[in-house]
Amino acid sequence: MKRNILVTSIALALIFSGLAILEACKSTDDTVTPTSTSGTTTTTTSSSAITTTLSATATTTTCASTGVAQIVCLAEAFKATLTTTQLATAQLTYSKTNAQKWSNLPAGLSARIGINLGSLSSTQLAAFRNLMVGLLALGTTNEGYDEMIGNLAADDYLNTIGGGSDYGAGNYYLSFLGTPSTTGLWSILFTGHHYTQPFTFNAGAVTGVTPAFRGTEPQAAVTAANRTYQAFEQERVAFGAMLTGLSTSEQTTAKLSGTYTDLVLGPGQDGKFPATKVGLQVGSLSSDKQALVLSAIKLYVNDLEATTAATVLTKYTSELASTYISYSGTTAMASQGDYVRIDGPSVWIEFSYQGGVIIKNTPHSHSVWRDHTSDYGGN
Amino acid sequence: MVFLIGLLAVGLSNVSSAHPMPNSVVLLNVHANRIDAEVQIPLSELQAAFGHAVNDSAAHLIDRLGPQLRAYLIQHIRPQSPDGQNWSVSIGKLAVLETQNPINGVYRELMAEVKLVPPIGQVVRQFVFYYDAVLHQVVTHKILVSVRQDWANGLLADNSPAQVGIISLDIVNNRILPLTVSLESGSIWSGFSSMVKLGTKHIAEGTDHLLFLLVLLLPAPLLVTGRSFRRFGWGHFGGVRYSLRHILLIVTAFTIGHSLTLLLGAMEWVRLPSQPVEVLIAVSILVSAIHAARPLFPGREAWVAAGFGLVHGLAFASTLANLQLDAGPMALSILGFNLGIELMQLLIIGLTIPWLMLLSRTPAYRVVRLTGAFLAAIAAIAWVIERITGQPNSLTKGIELVASFTPYGLGVLAVIALLLTWRMKRANQLPA
Repeated sequence: MKRNILVTSIALALIFSGLAILEACKSTDDTVTPTSTSGTTTTTTSSSAITTTLSATATTTTCASTGVAQIVCLAEAFKATLTTTQLATAQLTYSKTNAQKWSNLPAGLSARIGINLGSLSSTQLAAFRNLMVGLLALGTTNEGYDEMIGNLAADDYLNTIGGGSDYGAGNYYLSFLGTPSTTGLWSILFTGHHYTQPFTFNAGAVTGVTPAFRGTEPQAAVTAANRTYQAFEQERVAFGAMLTGLSTSEQTTAKLSGTYTDLVLGPGQDGKFPATKVGLQVGSLSSDKQALVLSAIKLYVNDLEATTAATVLTKYTSELASTYISYSGTTAMASQGDYVRIDGPSVWIEFSYQGGVIIKNTPHSHSVWRDHTSDYGGN
Repeated sequence: MVFLIGLLAVGLSNVSSAHPMPNSVVLLNVHANRIDAEVQIPLSELQAAFGHAVNDSAAHLIDRLGPQLRAYLIQHIRPQSPDGQNWSVSIGKLAVLETQNPINGVYRELMAEVKLVPPIGQVVRQFVFYYDAVLHQVVTHKILVSVRQDWANGLLADNSPAQVGIISLDIVNNRILPLTVSLESGSIWSGFSSMVKLGTKHIAEGTDHLLFLLVLLLPAPLLVTGRSFRRFGWGHFGGVRYSLRHILLIVTAFTIGHSLTLLLGAMEWVRLPSQPVEVLIAVSILVSAIHAARPLFPGREAWVAAGFGLVHGLAFASTLANLQLDAGPMALSILGFNLGIELMQLLIIGLTIPWLMLLSRTPAYRVVRLTGAFLAAIAAIAWVIERITGQPNSLTKGIELVASFTPYGLGVLAVIALLLTWRMKRANQLPA
C-alpha cells in the first residue's frame, strides 16, 4: 500500500515534468521585423473609417454666424451629439495645466485629455468635422484642414506597419477647456501624435493659436480615402528654399555651431525662449529673400481660418525685419539632423528633421510654432 | 509592434515626457568615500559630439576607440567639491550595449564605469557635477542623473533609482549649468536595517528556500521504523520533546550552512555561477520531498540540512556581492541580511510547526505528509527544468501564483489540525 502510493507519486511527477520540458522547448521567437520605407517616393495605401468620414466633402451646418460666435455654435453643436459620459470626458475646466497636456509622442505613450476620435460615431465625427472646418483653412491641398487629415492618415499608416494600436487617427483627442462662450475664457485643444493645435478664446476674441505642433511620419506620401496626402512636405521644401536662397556669407551668419537632434522648445518647454536671438536678421536681406522667410511662416499661420490667420500674419509681417533665422546641419533640410529656426519678436518656429522610431533610418519632421507672448492665449 | 511590447522595459525614459531622442543616464552608487557611476550614452547622440562614426559602425568600438573614448569622458565628466576642488575621475570598463524603450525603440549605447573620488578631507555626498558629454555639442541632449545605490540611506540597487536631477541646456541663457548634488547624510543604522528588511523580504518572496525547509521539517516529528535502508519508513509521533529537538537541530544546521557560504560568497572568496546553484536548490527540494515520503537519511537530516544550507547560502550571497560594498558596510550587510533571513525563517516555522506537530499525532498526518511531499516534488522538478532551460513553464508560473495565497493556506492548516485533534480526543474519550 505504502509502496503503491510512492510509485504513483513518482509516475505522476514524471508526467508533469515531461509536460514542463515540452513547454520549455517551444519556440518563443515571435518578434516582428518592422517594415521600412525609404526616400520620399513610397506611396502607401491605408485608411481608417475615421479619416474616410472626416475627408467627406459635404458640410452641413446650421451655424450661420461668423467669428467666435460661429465657433461657439459649432462647438455646442458637436457637444450636443455626445452622450453624458462622453461630454464629461470632453468638457473640462480651463487651466494652464490642462492646456499644457500635449506632446509629440503617441497618446499611448504620453496621455492626452479629452475625447478620442476612435470613440466617436459617424454622426459625432461629422459634427467634429464641422467644428474643425470652422477653425482651419479649407480648400488648400496639404494645408489647413487638409494637412490635419493627412497627418491622421500618416498615423494610420504607422499603425499598420508595426506601430500598433498606439498609433492611428483614433488616438487623437479633442477637449474643451472652459465652456465655449463669446464672453469668457476657454479653449479648444486638438492633440495627437504628430499634430497639436490649440485655440484660446477670451471675451469673444481669439487670443492664442499656439503652441502648435506639426510633423509627420512617414515624410513620404500616404494614400487614404482615394487621396494622396503628404501633410508636411511643403514646409520642409519651403525651409530648404529659404536657406539655399541665401548667399554663402549669409548662410555662415545663419549657421548655428551646435547640433540639434530635436526641437529646443518642444512640449514641456513653455516660456523658455532664448534671451538673445541668434543667426541672421531678416531685415538685412533683400526683399525676395525676406519673402521666402514669410512664405515659410505662412505655411503655419495660413493653416487657420482666414480671419484669424490674417490678424496673426499682419503682426508677423510687421515684425519681419527684426526676426532672425538660423539653421544647423545642411541647408537642404533633407538629411537627418537638419534643423531650422525662425525667431521674431512674436513668432517662434522650429523645424527638426530627425530619425524615426517606427520607420528606422529614414528622417521625418517635427516642428513647433510658438508665440513669445500669445502661447496659451497669454495665460 | 515589437517596440511597444517593451513597455516593461521603460527605465528612466518616462522622466522626460516628450523627448523622442534617447537620453544619457548617469547612475550613482554612493560609497563611504567614493562614487561608482555607471554612465550610459546613446551612440546616435554621441556620434555628433565625439567626432567619430560611433553609431554608424559600432562593431568593435571599444577595441578601436577605447583610449579616445576614455579621454573624451575624462574631459567631460568633472565633479567638484563645493569649494571648487576637482575630484579624481577614472574610467573603468567600457562596453557597447543594445537597449530599448517604447519611446525610442531599439538603440545602442556606450556604457562606462566611472569612479569619482573626492579629494582627501572632502565629503562624498555634496558635489557640483560638471558634466557635458554630448551636451557640449548636441544642445538638445539631456542627461538624467540618479542614485542607484546608497547603502547608508538604505537605497539598494534593486529599488528603482532615485532621480537627483537633469542636466540640459539652459535654453534662455544658452549655457550648460552644472548639477548641484546634495545627498542626505544617511547612517550605519539605516544601512543595517535596510539589509535586515532585505533579508526578510528575500525569504518571504523566496518560495524555494522556504519550501526546502518546510518539506524537510514535514517528517521531523515522526519516529523512523525499520532497521535497514530498504525497510525504513515513517512511524508515529515521537513526542513533543523529540520533535522540538529534531526541528531545532535541522533549522540550526541549515542556518550554519547558509551563513557560512553567505559570508564566503558575499566577500567574494567563493563565487559560483548562479545557474548551477539555482538548479541545486531545486534539487535540494526534490531530495527533501522524497525523504518526507520515505526516509532516505533518517537521523542525518541535520547534516543534509547543513549541506544544502551551503548551497542556499551561495544564492543569498549573490544578492550581497552584487552590491559591491566596501568591507565595513559589507560586514554589517552580511550580519543584517542573515538576521533578516533568520527572523523570517523563525516566524514562518513558528507559525507552521505547531499545527504540523498537532497533525502528526493524528492518523491523517500520513495523507498530509505524502500530499505535501508530492506537491513539493512536482514544484522542484518544474524549477529544475526552468533553471536548466532558462524558460519559465506553466507549473513554475502556477507556483508563483499559489505562493501568494500562502497565508490562507496556513489558516486552513490550522483549522484542519485543530479539527482533527478535537475529533481524535473525542474518539479516545469514548468507552472502548
